[in-house]
Order: sequence, then C-alpha cells, then structure tokens
Amino acid sequence: MKRKKFSAAHYDYLRKYSLRKISILLTQILVLAIFITLWELLSRYEIISSFFFSSPSKIIKTASEMFKSGELVYHSSITLKETFIGFAIATGIGFAVAFVLWCSTFLRSVSEPYLVVLNSLPKIALGPIIIIWFGAGQKAIIVMCILIVIIVTILNILNSFTSCDKQLIALAKSLGANKLQIFAKLILPNSLKDIVSTLKINVGLSWIGAIMGEYLVSRAGLGYLLIYGGQVFNLNLVMTSTVILCVLASIMYLLVAMFEKLMNKFYGK
Amino acid sequence: MSVVEIKNLNLIYQSTKSETEALTDINLTIEKEEFVSIVGPSGCGKTTILSLITGLIKPTSGQVLVMGKTPNLKNNFCGYMFQRDNLLPWRTIEKNIYFGLELKKLASKERKEKALDLTNKYGLSEFLKKHPSELSGGMRQRVALIRTLALQPELLLLDEPFSALDYQTRLELCDDIFNIIKTEQKTAILVTHDIQEAISMSDRIIVLSARPGKIKAIHTLDFSPDLTPFERRKTEKAKQLFDVIWQEIQNEKKKI
Repeated sequence: MKRKKFSAAHYDYLRKYSLRKISILLTQILVLAIFITLWELLSRYEIISSFFFSSPSKIIKTASEMFKSGELVYHSSITLKETFIGFAIATGIGFAVAFVLWCSTFLRSVSEPYLVVLNSLPKIALGPIIIIWFGAGQKAIIVMCILIVIIVTILNILNSFTSCDKQLIALAKSLGANKLQIFAKLILPNSLKDIVSTLKINVGLSWIGAIMGEYLVSRAGLGYLLIYGGQVFNLNLVMTSTVILCVLASIMYLLVAMFEKLMNKFYGK
Repeated sequence: MSVVEIKNLNLIYQSTKSETEALTDINLTIEKEEFVSIVGPSGCGKTTILSLITGLIKPTSGQVLVMGKTPNLKNNFCGYMFQRDNLLPWRTIEKNIYFGLELKKLASKERKEKALDLTNKYGLSEFLKKHPSELSGGMRQRVALIRTLALQPELLLLDEPFSALDYQTRLELCDDIFNIIKTEQKTAILVTHDIQEAISMSDRIIVLSARPGKIKAIHTLDFSPDLTPFERRKTEKAKQLFDVIWQEIQNEKKKI
C-alpha cells in the first residue's frame, strides 16, 4: 500500500482519536487505583472492619506467604488443570456433536427436546449423582465442568452452523458441492466469529464449573480455599483466592482474544 | 442437439396439508446460443423450471433433458445466477471467482488463468484483491457472473439477477451482461418479473399462466442483433410487445 499525504484535519482527527483512547485507559487505571486506596485506607483506620473486609495490603501479604510456601502455585495449578481439561473436552466434544447434528436433520430434531431440557437444568443439581458415579475426587470436578460447558457449546455452535445463509448453500449445491465441502468452505468460515465467541463464553463457564465442582468435593484448589477460608472466617484467604481467580481468568480470556485476532488475520477480515 | 428439451412435463408439489400442481404440460426446446426469458404472474413456477433444469428437483412426470442428458446436481451443464450475488464475504473477489472451480475440483492453473482472463476482459481485474463489501451492487453481480462463467457452463440460468439493484445500475448491468453472454456465445434462460427487461434481452419470451403454470404464449423477437438492450427498450416494437405481454399477464392475474 502506498503512503498517502493527508490533510491537517485528518491528523487532528487521529490525534483526538488516540487522545480519547489514552484517556479511557487512564481512567480505567484510576478507578482501580482509587478503589484499592480507598479500601486500604478504610480498613487501616478501621472505618470498615478489616476482619470482614480484609485489605489490599493483607491480600498481598497473604499471597506472598502462599507463594513462598508453594501453596499458591499448588492450588492454582490444580484449579487451572481442572478448568483447562474441562474446557478442552467440553469444547471438543461439543463441537463434534454440533457437527453431527448439523449433518443430520433427523438427529437434530430427535435431540432437540433433550438439549433444551439439559440446557435449562441447573447442572449443580447433578452434583450428588456425579459424586456417586465418579467418586469424590478430581474426576467429579472435571465432569461437572464439562456438563456446564458442553450443552451451551452444542447449542451455540449448532445454532451458528444452521444459521448459514440458505442462498449460499443453494449456490454451493448448484455448483455440485457435497456435504463436506459445504461444511469446510461455507459453514466453518461463516461460523468462525461465533465459534470464537463460544470459546470466550466457555472460558468463563469452565471456571464456574471447576469452582463449583471444588465447592462440592475438593481437597485442594482455589474453590477449596474459598470454601475453607469461609468456614474458618479467614477473609484474607477468601479475598486472596478471589483475586488470584480474577487474574487467572483474565489471562485465559486474553489468550482466547489473541487467538481471535490470529484467526481474523488468517481469514483476511 | 438442443441445449434444453422439456417434454410433457408435470410437477406436483407435496406438502402435509395439500398437493399443489405447480407446472402442467410444459413443452419447450431451447437451441444453442438462444436467449429465452420466462415471465408470468408471481408463483407461476418460473423459478421451478430453472430448478428442474439444474436437477435440483425431479419432475413428477415427463422429461427434462439438458444436452441430451437427464440433469443432476453433481454433473450438470448449468451455471446458476441468483437474485443476490451470494459472494462469500470472507473471500477476496479473486477467491470468490475460484469458488465454483474449487467445489468442482477443477481449480487447475489453466482454469484459474482463464477465469482471470474473463475478469480482465470485463474490467474487474483491479478489484481482485478486494473483499465483496468494498464493491457496489452492480460490480458484485458482475463478479457473480464471472464466477459462473469460470466453470464454462453450456447454459446460464438467470434467476432475476437484476431485481436487487437500483434502476440505473440495472439498465447498465443489463447491457453488460447481455454483452458478456453474447460474446461468450452462451445459451441463457432468464426468469424475471420485468417485462421490459425480458424484451430488451431475449430472442424468445415465454409467458406462463397462473398456477398451475402452463405455457400461455411464446413470442419470438426479431430485433436487429446490433441493438443493445438499452436501445431495444426505446424502439416502438418493444413498446407494442410490452403492451401485449402486460395484457396477457393481467388476464392471468384476474384468474387467481
């Protein structure tokens, strides 16, 4: 592409645009800083009870102690592992099931009421059954995670597959395309955006699944720390675990966002 | 050999509530390099005839032959052009033009080069690297035609290809596409609501009756071959023919 000379008004526009972007970012940081400072000051001068509300300095202290003792990495890695396995299996199987259901209108119609019921069922209600079937261990947590993620994945992706423009399919058919070609050349690129947004949703859901699973059965993990901290009224531990969760979930979300950018680049737009 | 032969064709649509006679006793032969238009009141089965010719649906009774063979989707001699251009938004114009070739596993270097020749010939080469969203409606429809021609079809089926465009573009594109079809020596069937459009492009116009569609009239046109569609529209002959066909369709509409 050639570099063009632009009018002064254009540079002015660009400058205003970047200024606005910077001011949004600064305000975001400022809000966080004010929140942390306020929290710290209020609890330091005991305007709010530091026992019930903890404080940023205590959270940092607890986190660094946990890091030194290796607890932080230990518990985080356990929850991360559960989340990741749950995410991968549920997304993979969900995608495969959506593909099969897309292929066969018969199966799609047959499975529809089941999917609807399973979707509206609160998966946590299956907790006792899962524990009995899979034992009170990590397997149960992962199964819980999968259950929470998979149904939404199937519904979202199938919905995206079937929403491809009928006329485009008619065109491909008139050009003699077979089912697999239609899938590879039309359905998949057409659904790419929806697939990535499903991945984003799944990241959040698999964290929910892993933490919920840990609430039910675990002996380790961030969910376990939260429950344990709550039971012994160690609010420092609860707050610290929550903050760690926030950080980890953000990192995972960022990874998916990067993947999205990569995909967009690959597909030109 | 005729490009299309339709003999004693009947088509009945089945649905859970009823059965609908869509087409009754259609007999039609189309010769090579002929341009035939089908007009008629809405719902008379114009598009259905195109679907029969591509092999998308099978006749209830009677026979359809394209190049002497029963048409099927896997291997037919038709290029279909729709009302909408149906370009894939995520592909560049160049990749869109190869789409049909890829599906038919014909995307050889030679075929691709031939397709590119067409884009050069008809003034699309500067858009090759762009995406469809960057082109105007008329340009996009031209790309759609090139995509169809890249497959070197014997027969072009045009299903109201101009009706989604504004009037100005429509007239312009009419001239262009007519020119391309004549230059490439293709046989074409145009389905349209627009009687003037049919008159401006066709060698023959077939008027269908209201449902069930029967052939009500066939008009053979004898314009001088150097007239463009736009010039044809302005002739007295075109105006007279318009009145005749208009009346025929009006009479059919009253029957519904």
